[in-house]
Amino acid sequence: MEPEAADDAALVQAAQQGNAEAFGALVSRHARSILSVTTRMLGPGADAEDVAQEAFVAAFKALPGFQGGSKFSTWLYRIAVNRCTDWLRARRPGTFSIDAAADGVAWEPADDDTPHSELEQAELAWEIERGIQDLPHLYRESFVLRHIEGLGYEEMSAILGVHRDTLKMRVYKARTLLCRSLAHLEEAPR
Amino acid sequence: MRGETPMADAERLVQRFLDRELSAEECMDFVVRLGRDEALRARVIAVERLVLEASRLPRPVVPDDFVSGVLSRAARPEPAWRRLLAVLRAPRTLQWNLAGAAAAVALVVLVVGGGLAGLRTGRPAPEAARAVADGGSGATPVLVRLVVVQPGAMTVAAAGDFNGWDPGQTPLEPVSNGAWTVTVPLEPGRYEYMFVVDGEEWIVDPFAVEQSDDGFGSRNAVLEVRPPAETSL
Repeated sequence: MEPEAADDAALVQAAQQGNAEAFGALVSRHARSILSVTTRMLGPGADAEDVAQEAFVAAFKALPGFQGGSKFSTWLYRIAVNRCTDWLRARRPGTFSIDAAADGVAWEPADDDTPHSELEQAELAWEIERGIQDLPHLYRESFVLRHIEGLGYEEMSAILGVHRDTLKMRVYKARTLLCRSLAHLEEAPR
Repeated sequence: MRGETPMADAERLVQRFLDRELSAEECMDFVVRLGRDEALRARVIAVERLVLEASRLPRPVVPDDFVSGVLSRAARPEPAWRRLLAVLRAPRTLQWNLAGAAAAVALVVLVVGGGLAGLRTGRPAPEAARAVADGGSGATPVLVRLVVVQPGAMTVAAAGDFNGWDPGQTPLEPVSNGAWTVTVPLEPGRYEYMFVVDGEEWIVDPFAVEQSDDGFGSRNAVLEVRPPAETSL
């Protein structure tokens, strides 16, 4: 078992015995990843934070039945993705605006050295974020888990309940669509 | 018209390269090919750059009160109406999905039951089902009955994520009054699908609860199959 998963297992066990502090530690450990997923799936803003919190609350309520058949993080991702899907189904797509919503979330600064490269990096990051938001839902969730969260296809299959070959196809299509949407940057003089 | 068009060989090679799935020998052949093929090289560079930049995208900062907010919400008692709703929703899932226009009406029925395990496909149960089972719900096989009314059709088949988009694997049987049906055992998950009439006409379900634009000019119906207890998560 990976060290992080082993630590999670100990915290899960303590949380299952009613130790709220242990559950708080689990939330603290995974908040960044879950918030990243909900933000990218829904678009940045207060709703993404709310859905991330809801996912943790759902995990807390279901925790007594968690038997460790999968990694805690995998189980948590699964709950978060389901919450995002529910939210998106309840609210029709197409109403998201990255500009309007960007005020609601703070972002870590990019690690860069010069103002010029910082500007280029910021422009590219913005374009990629916008491209991700434009992806069809199923491709977006696959791309986010694969290339932003850095998960393997096996774990993605466990989270999404979809065969890995299907996920590979979705990631491939997401990459293709994103490359198309970024093509104008390649053509422009840099 | 098809939702998940198969990759061309060259494209499949590129994707396997990007996913680091090529053997050492295949990788060497691929690199040699890259040296010769400028277009392929440009394609690989563009996708590699995208993947690199995506992995570098900034992460949202977790607000200081995030953890305390979760703990506070978790400590809140569940409202009575939600407890009642959970009880009503937990035992079974039943979804109806009308498909097609006047000449093409499709119906999707989900039936949930542990006794249906013998009808499952050969595909191993996804980890997700076990993950949900970990939540105390218990993974349950789900039978999905697809019904489409296509008077005059010689053959009707279903193609989707559940069968690798191969209509040959899921033919529908004619029943009566132009209706065709098939029952498909599905693992919990989200599936896109279409119907294929007479082996060539791909029809999408205009009345599907959810449709997905595949980004390539087609739309697919989306079917979500959930284990019953997952509704409480």
